[in-house]
Amino acid sequence: MERRKFLKTSILLAGGAVLGSAHLFGKSTTFPSVVLIKNGNPAEMVRKALDMLGGISRFISKNDVVLLKPNISWDRAPEYAATSNPELMSEVIRLCYQAGAKNVIVLDNTCNEARRCYKNSTLEETARKAGADVRFVRDNHFSETPIPNGTALKSWPIHNAVFEANKIINMPILKHHGMSKVTIGFKNMMGLSGGNRGRLHLSFSQKIVDLNRVIVPQLTIVDAIRILKENGPQGGNLADVEKLDTIIAGTDRVLVDAWSAKIFGLDPNKIEYLRIAHEAGMGEMDTDKFKPTQFVFKS
Amino acid sequence: MKKITSKTWRKTSQIFFFLLFFLTVLQATYPFEPWLPPELFLWFDPLVALAVQIAGRFFAPVFLLSLVFILFPMIFGRAFCGWICPFGTVIDATDRLISQKKIGDFRKVRPIKTFLLVIFLMLALFGVQYSWTMDPLPILWRSLGVFVLSFGFLIVDTILNGFVSVGIFPNVVMGIQDSLSGYLFPVDMPDFENLAIPVLLFFTILGLSRIARRFWCRTLCPLGALQGIISKIGLFRRKVDSEKCTACGLCRKKCKMDAIEPDFIKTEKSECVMCLSCKEVCPTNAISFGFDSPEKRQTSVDLSRRSFIGAGATALVGAGLFAMSKPDPNRTSEAIRPPGTVIEPEFLKRCIRCEECVRICATSGGCLQMSLLETGMMGIWTPVAKFRSGHCEFNCNLCGQICPTKAIQPLELKEKQEIRMGTAIFIQDRCIPYRLNDNCIVCEEHCPVSPKAIRVDEKEIFDPISGQKRIVRLPYIDPELCIGCGICEEKCPLEGKAGICVVREGEERIQV
Repeated sequence: MERRKFLKTSILLAGGAVLGSAHLFGKSTTFPSVVLIKNGNPAEMVRKALDMLGGISRFISKNDVVLLKPNISWDRAPEYAATSNPELMSEVIRLCYQAGAKNVIVLDNTCNEARRCYKNSTLEETARKAGADVRFVRDNHFSETPIPNGTALKSWPIHNAVFEANKIINMPILKHHGMSKVTIGFKNMMGLSGGNRGRLHLSFSQKIVDLNRVIVPQLTIVDAIRILKENGPQGGNLADVEKLDTIIAGTDRVLVDAWSAKIFGLDPNKIEYLRIAHEAGMGEMDTDKFKPTQFVFKS
Repeated sequence: MKKITSKTWRKTSQIFFFLLFFLTVLQATYPFEPWLPPELFLWFDPLVALAVQIAGRFFAPVFLLSLVFILFPMIFGRAFCGWICPFGTVIDATDRLISQKKIGDFRKVRPIKTFLLVIFLMLALFGVQYSWTMDPLPILWRSLGVFVLSFGFLIVDTILNGFVSVGIFPNVVMGIQDSLSGYLFPVDMPDFENLAIPVLLFFTILGLSRIARRFWCRTLCPLGALQGIISKIGLFRRKVDSEKCTACGLCRKKCKMDAIEPDFIKTEKSECVMCLSCKEVCPTNAISFGFDSPEKRQTSVDLSRRSFIGAGATALVGAGLFAMSKPDPNRTSEAIRPPGTVIEPEFLKRCIRCEECVRICATSGGCLQMSLLETGMMGIWTPVAKFRSGHCEFNCNLCGQICPTKAIQPLELKEKQEIRMGTAIFIQDRCIPYRLNDNCIVCEEHCPVSPKAIRVDEKEIFDPISGQKRIVRLPYIDPELCIGCGICEEKCPLEGKAGICVVREGEERIQV
């Protein structure tokens, strides 16, 4: 019963967020739907990004339970750019608590053994130091969740923290991936799903959009500080890593992914899931028409 | 003030060594930061040292530690069995649950253990190491490390999961689960295969107490037999003041090893474990323990010449049977060994089935399992990688770090990441892109080597089912780069058998 309630709320919230961002965008009100920050250190870049997006208090209110989803999928050290930037994450956790969040949950359903990934990526230690509630993902933490309007997925096991939290912040890292050419925000939400996740790779674009119909982040912050250009998503060779010192953040998750893909060197129009997501009304994808507000730190 | 009895001292010592043993078992986990080596007790086990080094015809300095328990009985007799052996402690602790505290008369079958010891050592001479079947310390390590701990984990986890699902402080309980998984097991319960016989063996040994107290130690334990043989020249021994002795017989009734002769004066030194119970029970204080010159009277030899020859012949026949009956595993088996395993014949001489590698792997990638007959009769319970239940973690080299006999060699992480356990091959009749003309590439995504050993070839394919042409990414393997870690086989989204599997082709083993 409670779960259904959670679900309902989250769908309402989702709808609200989509409508809200579209509304903000259409009226071109004070806040941009995507921002691009360059050349700062991770903490100052994310602070700047949030300032430009209307401040953390626009997203996080007092007593919110926040689910923060970095990419902790692989047993790699941070410099290999297979996992999200720890400093970036810890600053966001700090800001959430500053805005009055009751709890900030950090977790990921990893591909390598969970403790190895949590440890070697340094994300567990960093998040704990910042006061986050870092959790390992267990088989019994998932609930089969119906996906209304799902085209390829009618239901899928989703992590209960998605419904426990009332705010979701998506913190992917921008990197190469053999399936969708690049993995950004939409793909990062797979870490909140359970079951036989390999199955999601069949009709991948449809399914990844379907998952994002029920897991709806209010804010996406893409880590392009170090990006993995080849042999993603797990990498392993420093020669494939490029330092961009960039973050892309915003409320329009389609546009955020589109701009991230563009920065990666890809044509967003050729990325199938973006097209499907856009057609499903989840956001804009025309990078010629919708430009990010930029800020470049002087070095 | 209450006097501290010798019983208290003995129990304290037993509990201390058992806990020490248990700690060494707990140490074998990822993250591996041991302050006690998990192999400690096995290095001190003279039966392991003798059998492995004789069969393998090699010398490892670490086994010099086992000399301690060659020298120790020369002074203190079989005190190892009574005061130190953690399996003896488990038997003592459980016998109050299952035995009727019988002593019984099993003097006739007592030499069986010596007979077994001789067989194991003879087999080792013929190059067959089979002492692991009955050596108590590897048996205990295996039992605690694999199923006793996981059974405990299962119970605790089931209860805690229950709390979470009905919503009793779920976040607190999940926190407890997370901290437990730091030093017991991985986040989710590992699956172990082929546990039935080891579990049965362990509980059978404990159940032997039903026949009589310490029945295993008295009649079957080959390590006890080794301690017993050396004890015959032991200096520390039981002495009876025959003037004080009233021949009441209480001491003989109390002796759980049945080491006291019917005259209550003489002691069978190869049986006495120095538990000192007889001294405590003696109403006239006639019994004392102390150093003495070796007894003038020769204690009877355990094993007759005939039995000795019999044991030798049995071992010879056994070794011959093993040699004839084992299918050549290097030709017929597809079983994958852990990375850094020595060549198969040498591996079989070294592996003592302590399952340290299997336990530590269960806390990391989780691919190692106890085999049954996959590698032949000689290979029963040896570690094999089963990739549908786990994979070899790219950044893990722990199995080689903790193998007590170096059957799996310790490799630097870099070396381990390059050594080939086997090679992955696609089974195109199963693999999704080949069979259904649909994109999948889960295997490519997970391949840990860089550049990837699994790559994709984009091809335009006519799909007869839909009647359309489409671009399909067909995966292929570069055998030069594949290290056979098996993560592709584990993560393949097919149910049942995967569309990709690791075969022994290209396997690299270490020559010793």
